[in-house]
Order: sequence, then C-alpha cells, then structure tokens
Amino acid sequence: MLKIVVPMAVSILATEFVQAQTEIIGNVDSKCIIVSETPGVYGNPNPYQLTTATTSGGVQPIIRFDVLAADYYKAVIEHPVSFSSAPTLDDVVTWTGDVEVSEVSDTDMSTYDSDKIEYDNAHEYQMTVAGSTWFKISSVADYGYNKSFPAGQYTAVVEAECIPL
Amino acid sequence: MKRLGLGLAALCCLPSYSFSEEIYGTTNNAAQTGLAWVMTNILPEYAGLEVNGLVYSYTAVKDPETDMIVWVQNEYADGNGYIFRNSDDWSGLPGNTISKSFAFPNLPATLWGPGSIEVDGEGDVENASVVYSYRYDTCFDPQTDPSCPGYRETVEIPDVGLYDPLQDDLIQEDMERKARIQEEEAEQERQRRREQWALSNALEDLLGDGNNPGLIDPVSEALALALTARVLPTDYLYSLEGREYLETVVLNGGTIQDNSKARRSNLAQQLLHQQMVDSQYESSQQETK
Repeated sequence: MLKIVVPMAVSILATEFVQAQTEIIGNVDSKCIIVSETPGVYGNPNPYQLTTATTSGGVQPIIRFDVLAADYYKAVIEHPVSFSSAPTLDDVVTWTGDVEVSEVSDTDMSTYDSDKIEYDNAHEYQMTVAGSTWFKISSVADYGYNKSFPAGQYTAVVEAECIPL
Repeated sequence: MKRLGLGLAALCCLPSYSFSEEIYGTTNNAAQTGLAWVMTNILPEYAGLEVNGLVYSYTAVKDPETDMIVWVQNEYADGNGYIFRNSDDWSGLPGNTISKSFAFPNLPATLWGPGSIEVDGEGDVENASVVYSYRYDTCFDPQTDPSCPGYRETVEIPDVGLYDPLQDDLIQEDMERKARIQEEEAEQERQRRREQWALSNALEDLLGDGNNPGLIDPVSEALALALTARVLPTDYLYSLEGREYLETVVLNGGTIQDNSKARRSNLAQQLLHQQMVDSQYESSQQETK
C-alpha cells in the first residue's frame, strides 16, 4: 500500500501550482496624546462680550500634550474664531485669543512659547522635549459694535492637533 | 447546586472568615506651609505604610538670563544621603510652572526623612505642591484585627500566684535553726580564742615577771601554774637518750688509683687555659708597644 500512495502524492504536487500568502501585522501607537484637562467657560462681563478671562467669570480651557518621543511631533492649537452653536446672530463677531504654555514637565519646555509660530488663529509648537506640556487658551468674542449678544447658549471649539513631522 | 450555594453562604458567614485589604491614598500638600517639611507630619501613621509615588509642581519665577536650579528632595530618615532628589535646571530659561511625577517601588515610610525644596541661584519658587501617594495593608499586623488572616487568639495567663520560699514556715524554721547553730559555733570560737589569749598572756607573765616577787600575786601565780601545768608536757623535764652513728665504710687496699681519662681531660683544659692566657698577654704587650 505504501508503494502506491507515495507516487500518487508526488504526481499531484508536481502537476498543480501552489501559492501561499501570509500577513505581517504591525500596530503603531501614537507617541503623542492630547488630553482635554479643563473645559473652558465663557464669562459675560458685558452684554456685548464673551470671554474666558477669570477676572470676568470665565475659565480658560487647558489642554495637555503627552509626547513620548521628542522631535517627532508638532502641536497646533487654534483658538476659536466662530461659534459651533449659538443663537442666530445678525451682526459680526470679532474674535481674539491666545495660546500659552501654562505648565511643563521639563524645564527645557519653557522656551516653547518664545519659539512658537503664529499664523491666523493657529499657534504651532515644535515638541522638542519628551514629556507633558499644558497649554492654556484664552478666547474673547465681541459682538458688533458694543451690541448685546442674543440670549442663549454659546459654544466655541478649540482645536488641538498633534502632527507627526 | 443548591447545597453548594448554601455551603458557600455558610462559609462566608463563619466567624473565622478573614480578609486583608490594601488601602491606597495620597497625602495633603507637604509644601503647603513652607519649603521644608517633616514626613512624620505628612504621612499617616499606619503600620507597614509604604510610599509608592510623588507628584510635585511649582512655579519658577526668574529672569530668563539668570541661573537657577531647584532641588526637590527627601533625605533618608537616618540622615545618610537622599532617598529622593530631583533637580530642575532653569538656567538661561524663562520661568514657568513645572509638574513632575515619580513612582517608587513601595519604599517603607520609615525610610523617609525630612523633605524640602531648595533653590540654588537667582529666582523664587511659588505655589509649590508636593503630594505623596502611599499604600498600606490593614492586616500588616494580624493582631490588630481578629478578622485578619493569621490572627491568634490571645491566651489569658491564669493567676497562679507567686510563691515566695522566704515566706514558708518550714524553710524559715530551718533557716533560724541554721542561724542558731552558726551563732553557737561563732560563740564557741570566740570563747576558744579568749581562752587561748588568756593562756598566752598568763604564760608570758609567768616567764617574764617570775623574778620580781613584788609583782607576784599568789592567786595569779597559782592560776598561772595551774595553766602551765595544763600546757607543758609532763616529760618536759626529762632528758632524751642520745645516739651516735659510727663510720662503717672500709677502703680495701689503702690507695685509690687515678682516673686516666679524667687526667687527660684536665690536662687538655689546662693547655687551653694556658694558650688563652698567653694570647691575652701577647695582645696586651703589642698594645703597650
């Protein structure tokens, strides 16, 4: 029996084309993590103004960037220039704002503010040090020419990105 | 299944059911009242407490051009170095708020000595916060809680009462008897010494003052004679019969032969002595020349 079976198997292998595929799977975890630590609140010191200034009853939002590898990422944070939700507005809203480093986990990060690049409402930071960096955003919205904001709830969004270099 | 459930429920409700629990917590801000603190005032007093982390933050206020190094540290409790020390070098950098966290491999609280934040250079530290995280086992000492595993019931020692042998009547009687015997023996010894002393004085008086009739008291003389009669042996006045040992060795032949070996030896020594004297004489003659 063995003498018969073996030639048959050989003949099958010799006559058919065999192909195989195998996968290589790799996962890349981001070495940059963004955490919204403190949500912001607009205060309304004047009828025409919404501001995050603490002296005006507002709360400045704080965003934390955890960078595990230095020199591989840049952080781009944009302070708001529009409401994501608000009552109907029929006049112009003037937006001003700023982003600054409020806390660091390494002393070398204290130069981030002086080295940042600003364009439009964006603030771009080169994350040259591994560790955590806290950014504090301020935002002020003035409505019309000293015009009162319509009553209602106003929401604006701060956009923060961690862009690989 | 129903029986199994009932059994487990009964097991849980048994009085001997025991457990231990690990409690985790964090301290208040150690730097709340100043930049130096004592750990015994910061960590809670639980047996077996271990420190497993530290988070600190502060704001460095300084001129970007100046040099400043901030040390956050804890000494060892025995003062031998630092159990934790970290530096932030702000030299040439603008000040900011810094926050750092550290994890420790459960270091016993007893190792942690005084903590402090020190500044080298120009600048100030504001809004400092130092918070320690810790853990402890509620059953680190099983005897603190009967529910802890390993707890042992305390054994009550029965009140047996102390036995003082000195209070025993029989022993006291025996001790008193021995004390009486010792006292009697001591008294006898004293009496014996007194008699011996009196005897020796009487003998001296008798031998020393016997030629002075004025000093002789008939009574004392009689007493002394009586004592002397008791001490001196009765054969004191008798003479002993002497003896003489006569020479019994006899030399046969009448002459003693010389020992030839001894003679040669004597001659050899004599010759050596003569040579030594001659050499000394010759050397002294040469020196005088």
